[in-house]
Amino acid sequence: MIKKLFIILGFIAAILAVILAVTPLSNLAIAPIIVAFISGLVILLVSKKEKTKTKTIQYIFLMVIIALFLTIYKGIYATSEIGNTEQLEQRDEENLEDSKEILEDIEFDEDL
Amino acid sequence: MKHYALLVVVFLSALSLAQNKTIAIGEKLVYAASYNMSGLLTDIAQVKMETSEVKTSKSSLMRLKCTATTYKDWDGFFKIRDLYESYVNPKTLTPFLYKRDISEGGYYKFMQYKYNHKAKLVNSLKRKKRKDGTTWDEKKSVKIKPATKDLVSTLYYIRNLDIHKASPGDQQNFTVLFDNEEHIITLKYIGKETISTKLGRKECYKLAIVAIKGSDLLKGKNDNLLWLTADANKIPVYAKFKIPVGNGELKIQSASGLRN
Repeated sequence: MIKKLFIILGFIAAILAVILAVTPLSNLAIAPIIVAFISGLVILLVSKKEKTKTKTIQYIFLMVIIALFLTIYKGIYATSEIGNTEQLEQRDEENLEDSKEILEDIEFDEDL
Repeated sequence: MKHYALLVVVFLSALSLAQNKTIAIGEKLVYAASYNMSGLLTDIAQVKMETSEVKTSKSSLMRLKCTATTYKDWDGFFKIRDLYESYVNPKTLTPFLYKRDISEGGYYKFMQYKYNHKAKLVNSLKRKKRKDGTTWDEKKSVKIKPATKDLVSTLYYIRNLDIHKASPGDQQNFTVLFDNEEHIITLKYIGKETISTKLGRKECYKLAIVAIKGSDLLKGKNDNLLWLTADANKIPVYAKFKIPVGNGELKIQSASGLRN
């Protein structure tokens, strides 16, 4: 019973960890990685006690390794680079030109 | 006669208070904005605050420009390209024109306020995009109070306050026009605090936004904080905010073109 519960929990956590590790939210993958890893250990201990072999442990650990690798890799190589700002620059220019025209009509008071 | 002299003194001191002694033309401040996700702070965007000079045939104004750009990793997820600008009198920081041109994950909105200080009116223009790419305008005339400013010019105006004269616990109200409505923001001076920033260890004035009347944008009583360096430049070096969907912070990366 306990084994089944941990197999399900471990699997869900491991899959979630891999999914999160692929997205830009890789920082969030740490929590499910820990959960999946602990679940894997519990299954391993229970299997040893019952002297049975469980294949799921391998899958869980494999996914944990993949997620952990991706998270660490992204953590090291993550760049805080900004993307393409061409459109923003263009809007900036257009707004400036448009503003100049509007400001020509505005009554400017030095004291205000 | 004595009364007149007193009036003149009061008027002059009020004028000198309103003078811009802090913000220079050509100033550039760069920030990294991070968002707190389940206890982990993740850098999501770069925020830039720049000032420049804009000349018209009759006058010379200061352009205050703020842009927000998400980092590359986030562009595929939720792309933000926001532009906020305010054209102000370089001497008093009174706004004459405000524009907000935002593009957030497919959502586009443009807002423009043309101030008419004599009539205490703002001519606002709202532009939104339909699903098929065409746009529609909405024009409105909004009555404002004499001291009402927009978001950008308020931010710069706060930097120009004589905070060194304030004592901890002092509060001041600001009226900010946002989405065609006036909101009263209450700012409280908490005290001095030394924090370490990218610009080095700085002694700062710690300010808190205690309340915004008519808006539930910011949450918590003392969770929205702003640190301004306790020198003549009063650079905003660090800010913490709490919004309904989480909390985050703004940290300075670089500052150039400072006045003092």
